[in-house]
Amino acid sequence: MASSESSSSSAQSLTFYGFLDKMRNPASVDLVRSIKSFIVSFSFYSPYPENDGKRVQEFFSIFEVAIMDHQLWENSSMEEIDCSMEGLEKYVMTKLFSRTFASSPEDVKIDQEISEKIHLLQTFLRPDHLDIRPFLRNESSWLLAEKELQKINSFKAPREKLLCIMSCCKVINNLLLNASISEDHALGGADDFLPVLIYITIKANPPHLHSNLRYIQLYRRQSKLMSEAAYYFTNLVSAKSFIVDLTAESLSIDASEFEENMQAASLTNKGATVEPSLVLNPTLEEQKDVGPATALDEAEDGFGTSYPYMDAEPGELTVADVERLLSLYKDVVTKYTNLRRAP
Amino acid sequence: MGCSSSLPGRSSGRLGGLNSSESGGVPDAKNLRVKLVLLGDSGVGKSCIVLRFVRGQFDPTSKVTVGASFLSQTIALQDSTTVKFEIWDTAGQERYAALAPLYYRGAAVAVIVYDITNPDSFNKAQYWVKELQKHGSADIVMALVGNKADLHEKREVPAQDGLEYAEKQGMFFIETSAKTADNINQLFEEIGKRLPRPSSSSS
Ligand SMILES: Nc1nc2c(ncn2[C@@H]2O[C@H](COP(=O)(O)OP(=O)(O)OP(=O)(O)O)[C@@H](O)[C@H]2O)c(=O)[nH]1
Ligand SMILES: [Mg+2]
Repeated sequence: MASSESSSSSAQSLTFYGFLDKMRNPASVDLVRSIKSFIVSFSFYSPYPENDGKRVQEFFSIFEVAIMDHQLWENSSMEEIDCSMEGLEKYVMTKLFSRTFASSPEDVKIDQEISEKIHLLQTFLRPDHLDIRPFLRNESSWLLAEKELQKINSFKAPREKLLCIMSCCKVINNLLLNASISEDHALGGADDFLPVLIYITIKANPPHLHSNLRYIQLYRRQSKLMSEAAYYFTNLVSAKSFIVDLTAESLSIDASEFEENMQAASLTNKGATVEPSLVLNPTLEEQKDVGPATALDEAEDGFGTSYPYMDAEPGELTVADVERLLSLYKDVVTKYTNLRRAP
Repeated sequence: MGCSSSLPGRSSGRLGGLNSSESGGVPDAKNLRVKLVLLGDSGVGKSCIVLRFVRGQFDPTSKVTVGASFLSQTIALQDSTTVKFEIWDTAGQERYAALAPLYYRGAAVAVIVYDITNPDSFNKAQYWVKELQKHGSADIVMALVGNKADLHEKREVPAQDGLEYAEKQGMFFIETSAKTADNINQLFEEIGKRLPRPSSSSS
């Protein structure tokens, strides 16, 4: 499963530098001009995700046709053309990232809502609520899968974001495979895979889940969002959609128990925050052109709403705070990592 | 529980992401690649059918780890075309039913499975047929599969019922056993034959 790709990110960066090298060649001046003017053209329009996606995909196709006839790619194999196209995708989308990622207020709002709902679910959801079979409960594999998924916000290129999803799913598949060998169970199919993915998504609560999925859907080269990649991508879309629509009936749980837990969780959340208005960060809009929303959206917001434990004393904390603290910790580390990567 | 405790075939996966024949490209009249989605109630044997089908061509030299929920397998038909099935397994539990459209969108083939010992699963199969007729691709090839045919003594859905229903809906019908491998290859070969061929007007 995408093994040749994920195993060697250095090979991939070589590819990317190979692409940049070609672009520095005087013979490609016309191509460089077309890339630049394409990127600039985006500043003339306000964000409109569907259209933006279509324009980018069209540009990719036109560019691919152009390099196939280009002297710099004379005698190039399909693989080499493909590598250049990966380079192009990465270059263009890195430049357009802040303009295209989570670019509509609706998307930002959906991200927030999902992340808040997950936050509540995290306080009480257990594997048996999703009927995950006991031999598939493996903390270390799950943690690894969560980490792979959380890396999704460390990248701007659609291909790399997609690879994070693939790596996460690969960890789950290895878990299913190992469980089938050591426990002598039949290798499970989707009915084993999907609940684990849902559970891991809830544990990981990756920021901007919805926007990441939409971004990959719109901007990953279409010919690459096929087959196995499409399957695993669809599973995460499906996990997200399950979470969005999740009610007591979606789980093996008593309806009243579910309601009580959800309420208790939302009270704890409110109690812990100085300001209950977690909902939308008003400064996000202006920050968009500064850089990826992931890195900056909450950074200037004061600690109160986003980091409720800033003023807490050790004595006030209970075991119930651990989940939240851990998720905030992960959030902070992700942000820190993003900021460090920022150009 | 489980189709069999032996290790399933784990070859057949794609051996690398950058193989150009994988990157979509022009459909080739001689080498088809199709998305096949499996639907049906929980426990009817969907996962077992795929594993049985794919296991037949197990390649022990391959070290590639593939999941059991996405598998692909290529078969050669008599007219020397090859068909690569990319099989999308779905979770059959009721709580995931609403997610099905995400999986069958764009599928060229839907295999709808029921268990011949379980009339409820036959009703559920009819539900999926209707849903796909309404929301699936217009030219989707559908097959109705009555699985667990080895359990004749427990049969509750007569083969005739499956056949009649399928004929009325213009779909292909077959009874299989993932346990004995009966009719598993036939199922996929028949589907292969029924696939619309890309018009070979080009060259
Ligand atoms: N006797 C018999 N048992 C079968 C056959 N096919 C599957 N089974 C058994 O039926 C059970 C369920 O099979 P699965 O393949 O997991 O069913 P599924 O349709 O994938 O179920 P979900 O993944 O939950 O939707 C397993 O215990 C299998 O051993 C068959 O042809 N004959
Ligand atoms: Mg299954």
